Amino acid sequence: MLTDRSWFTIAVALYGVSAVYSVLLWRRGFREDNRVLYAMLSGGAALHTWAMFQRGFALDRCPINNLFEASMFIAWTIVAAYLVIGAFRRLRFLGAFASPLLAAIGVFALFPMLDHRGPKPEFSHAWESLHAASVLLSYGAFGLSAVAALMYLTQEHDLKFHRARAVLALMPPIQRLEKVISGLLAAGFVLLTVGLALGAWWLKQAKGYFVSDDPKIVWSALVWVAYGVLLALRGKLGAGGRRFAWGVIGAFVFVLLTFWGTNLPSPIHHP
Amino acid sequence: MSLVVIGLSHRSAAVDVRERFAYAEAQVAPTLAKLRDSGLAREAVLLSTCNRVELYVAPVRPAREAASELREFLVADRAVSGPLGGELYAHTDQTGVEHLFKVACGLDSLVLGETEILGQLKQAYDLALAAGHTGRVLNKAFQGAFNVAKKIRSETQIQRGNTSVASVAVDLADKIFDGLSGRDVMVIGAGDTSEKTARALLGRGARSLFVSNRSFDRAAALAAELGGQAVHFDGWESEFARIDIVVSSTSAPHHILDRPKLERLLKLRAPRPLLLIDIAVPRDIDPEVRFLDGVYLANVDDLQGIADEHLRNRRDEVVRCEAIIRDKARGLVAALGFPADGVRAMVLDRPRGV
Repeated sequence: MLTDRSWFTIAVALYGVSAVYSVLLWRRGFREDNRVLYAMLSGGAALHTWAMFQRGFALDRCPINNLFEASMFIAWTIVAAYLVIGAFRRLRFLGAFASPLLAAIGVFALFPMLDHRGPKPEFSHAWESLHAASVLLSYGAFGLSAVAALMYLTQEHDLKFHRARAVLALMPPIQRLEKVISGLLAAGFVLLTVGLALGAWWLKQAKGYFVSDDPKIVWSALVWVAYGVLLALRGKLGAGGRRFAWGVIGAFVFVLLTFWGTNLPSPIHHP
Repeated sequence: MSLVVIGLSHRSAAVDVRERFAYAEAQVAPTLAKLRDSGLAREAVLLSTCNRVELYVAPVRPAREAASELREFLVADRAVSGPLGGELYAHTDQTGVEHLFKVACGLDSLVLGETEILGQLKQAYDLALAAGHTGRVLNKAFQGAFNVAKKIRSETQIQRGNTSVASVAVDLADKIFDGLSGRDVMVIGAGDTSEKTARALLGRGARSLFVSNRSFDRAAALAAELGGQAVHFDGWESEFARIDIVVSSTSAPHHILDRPKLERLLKLRAPRPLLLIDIAVPRDIDPEVRFLDGVYLANVDDLQGIADEHLRNRRDEVVRCEAIIRDKARGLVAALGFPADGVRAMVLDRPRGV
């Protein structure tokens, strides 16, 4: 009987194959129908979901208790959102940009030391689980908006300098991509706001104060402000949205690079 | 039971010959009735477009004999009296079916892969069907052709990408804007290609058109023809704030829009993409503007290059399309019980008196 990690490893391998296939699609100028890519990512998502179920049933709660589980959850929100968005043919090439990110998060999650089985964080009630799930879902939405921003920048560059490739590519118009980026960003921001509010409410109940200088809390507040500023400046960062797209990518890279580092010194999140 | 296709097209005949054989729509049904009354045909469909005139016939007599008789009928019916060489061709049975399928798929068209011919073929078939001139052979052959055309469209790239400068400009706009409805277009310099491009953009839903030209009369005439608004040449910048797409084709010897000027004009617009289509030679728009955020520029070479690439891609797909057509034609020929050795481009005796 395969363990949840084994199922997840197979899913990550499929994401890796999808990432290699995405390079081929990119080299061919995104001209071919990408049903194969969608099918591969669907297969990976199915295995990924099964791994999450196995872990969840074993723990009898939402599996977001350590960095392995949190990374697995973020990757799952990205692939699940992609499968919904990819049902629209003209947005399906988002998968070509999402699969390298999924593979990278998956490989990171599989580092052995991340699946820490020590004392559980204080997620003993449904509200705490909801806090963690909302926050991680928001990172999934931010991740997918960064993927859409990468797609935007690729198509925008081609429209300026490789027009034939841009016209022949089965990609959506960049104005639609701008809407997708903004929509995902707004959804992520709402989820993050709800998640952080739930966290603050829990902190008040448990500790008697809304905020503390816990590194993770300070970092989360910084992320919330960064995305808030990004949304507020939307529309004022240039007509074509190139700078906005770079901002979205930059913000998510910041989240990716610092999420893990701020988790470890946080006594609340990593007891 | 067999099938004969006889006719002429842009491949075999110049326009001065094709126009002598062309049929007006009102003449088609009476001609089909006359053909069947003559005892030459059990079933018949007549296709007449600007690029081809073809009779698709299930003949009474064996295909090879019928082909010569049908040629005589066609020449006599059109009262063509001048000398004819190899303009008229005939295809029978397997090759006749393959020819019909190729026509339906646009493989025999002047613009490879074009789809207008499929509509014309459907119209010709519907007319014959409604008048009771089709039966088992032509019904199966034409239904088969429509199905093959659908398969070719969905499984190959033969119909992908436009091959004219005006259509490619619209394709480019489609890759930038989320729909063309609600977009405002400005034409600067009322030339032939800019007019075609403006028509194509309006045809795809562009909301309004402004035309500016050194000769205001010419601008007013084109604006009236296309349902737009004429603007004085020295005043086009005042309308710029609302414009999404500019089509420029003046005969100015220098750039009429350079980077500093556009940067100034962009400040007057709400932040949104701007497509500049420069089809003038020498160019009207400084290529440096393409580095501005949200500005997309294409000149005539860019557009022609894309059109040429589309055409090359279509040509690369011909072999795949022909393989599908051969396969489907074989199936139909077997189902209808035709001999499998049809003749392609049969050389026919000249009809008597020609």
